[in-house]
Amino acid sequence: MYSWEMLSFNIHDGFLEAIVRGNRSGLLTQADYNNLCQCETLDDIKMHLSATEYGPYLQNEPSPLHTTTIVEKCTLKLVDEYKHMLCQANEPLSTFLQYITYGHMIDNVVLIVTGTLHERDVNELLEKCHPLGMFDSIASLAVAQNMRELYRLVLVDTPLAPYFSECITSEDLDDMNIEIMRNTLYKAYLEDFYKFCAKLGGATAEIMCNLLSFEADRRAVNITINSIGTELTRDDRRKLYSNFGLLFPYGHEDLAVCEDVDQVRGVMEKYPPYQSIFAKISYGESQMLDKAFYEEEVKRLCLSFEQQFHYAVFFAYMRLREQEIRNLMWISECVAQNQKNRVHDSVVPIF
Amino acid sequence: MSGQSQRLNVVPTVTMLGVVKARLIGATRGHALLKKKSDALTVQFRAILKKIVATKESMGEAMRASSFSLAEAKYVAGDGVRHVVLQSVRSASLRVRSHQENVAGVKLPKFTHFVDPAGASSGGPSGASPSLTGLARGGQQVSACRAAHVKAIEVLVELASLQTSFLTLDEAIKTTNRRVNALENVVKPRLENTITYIKGELDELEREDFFRLKKIQGYKRREVERQMAAAKLFAEEQLAEDLALKRGVSIGGATNILVGGGDKDEDIIF
Repeated sequence: MYSWEMLSFNIHDGFLEAIVRGNRSGLLTQADYNNLCQCETLDDIKMHLSATEYGPYLQNEPSPLHTTTIVEKCTLKLVDEYKHMLCQANEPLSTFLQYITYGHMIDNVVLIVTGTLHERDVNELLEKCHPLGMFDSIASLAVAQNMRELYRLVLVDTPLAPYFSECITSEDLDDMNIEIMRNTLYKAYLEDFYKFCAKLGGATAEIMCNLLSFEADRRAVNITINSIGTELTRDDRRKLYSNFGLLFPYGHEDLAVCEDVDQVRGVMEKYPPYQSIFAKISYGESQMLDKAFYEEEVKRLCLSFEQQFHYAVFFAYMRLREQEIRNLMWISECVAQNQKNRVHDSVVPIF
Repeated sequence: MSGQSQRLNVVPTVTMLGVVKARLIGATRGHALLKKKSDALTVQFRAILKKIVATKESMGEAMRASSFSLAEAKYVAGDGVRHVVLQSVRSASLRVRSHQENVAGVKLPKFTHFVDPAGASSGGPSGASPSLTGLARGGQQVSACRAAHVKAIEVLVELASLQTSFLTLDEAIKTTNRRVNALENVVKPRLENTITYIKGELDELEREDFFRLKKIQGYKRREVERQMAAAKLFAEEQLAEDLALKRGVSIGGATNILVGGGDKDEDIIF
């Protein structure tokens, strides 16, 4: 399998792979994080970041710096890099890159729909959308009053259309429905992405399917834990799990009936890859679970750089950048709020 | 007059004295009452101050916890979660009710918070029941964040109530103290001065009356003496006349001379 890719991969995608691997070395290292954790003020953070690739984005910021500004600027850098790569990409890499942003697109659609339901100004909403998930007709989402209209008028032209067709109901939108809709969409998106990667074949399929399975399993666990004690019924919960991944299908059946965190742990400990995650957190505690999952994800994403001639590096790079932005946000929040003893709680070092 | 401002401009009469004395008694009673009120308010004031200090300390803690829980939620659920939460808010579920409390005649506004069932049932993250926000990631952090903020709001409401009471009470204490001082240092001395003044005037009048009476008495006594003397003289003259008549000698001429000289010099008679 690999030999075929080695022959033809660099014809179209060699340049971009080189770029993404170059960008990868721009990610903050453990030493950078150590320095950042020592900072006393946000200006110190800015000073440290100016020595990294974020420098040009932050250098013109006026001094009373805010956490949101830092996060915004760092996201801007990610978006710029993404756009650069997308411009250079050929088929099928360009489709692959677009797939990466569909998650943000779903979030934006849901955000606009929620805002419209509560009669907010569309322009105001557009400012709050994630820049990676923008598409041309997003502003016209505001006209829709129910799901059917939403689909017929706007979404049919977007790449999200096939996902919506699965979860169309003529029910009026309310908060519960919207959150379920978001997760149904995300489920459909993950499944579609999975199929697309499998179709690409080769190392891409192997690594991406692994990463997406992990993502799907993580979502399943999170949905289970977060829906404990809410009005979400077991059947509804079951419907939100993606139809692939390590837990599919028997683990999903078990998760669907879980009533508390310890039951979830019981289910998950049957699966060796997740045993280590749950071994880290003590009984009855779910706060640290997110960090454990993030750490595991970062580990898996980093491993994808060990192989060559596949697309998963792009996915991994985008995800690692997002994690890095999360880390930066956490550090700046801790510094801004004088909670430096908590800094190390949630920072997940990359590489 | 000395201390013109220190006494009322009244006519010094006994009636007025009675009136002013009544006023002084009223002022004294009022002063005592106001003093008591001021003391009661001060006690309350101190208690509130103590509570405010305690609440402020706990507020610092609560606010820090709540804003940090927001950071946690943002870390797990992504930065976009705040927009999601913002957009799905319809009406506030946590509301503040205000009522008045009466402390020594001062109406203190008190605030209490309560969960509005209408706002809670309208769903959304503001509702009391756990919502589905962040179902796929960070739902727990979002609810933890909400719980922390609700706690912070509770502390804030309590603090607001205390602060308002504090200000109102402060104002009330100032007014009361001003009244107490005014009564003590202006009204009461003025009334007392007035009373002294009226009493002084009345004494003066009494002394004048006494003097006049004495004078009149003396005059009267002198008058009586003179009449007595005149009567005596007359009687003697009568006697002399009688003697002269008996002797046949008229002493009318002599008498005339004597009488004529008597007008000028009484001593000649004797």
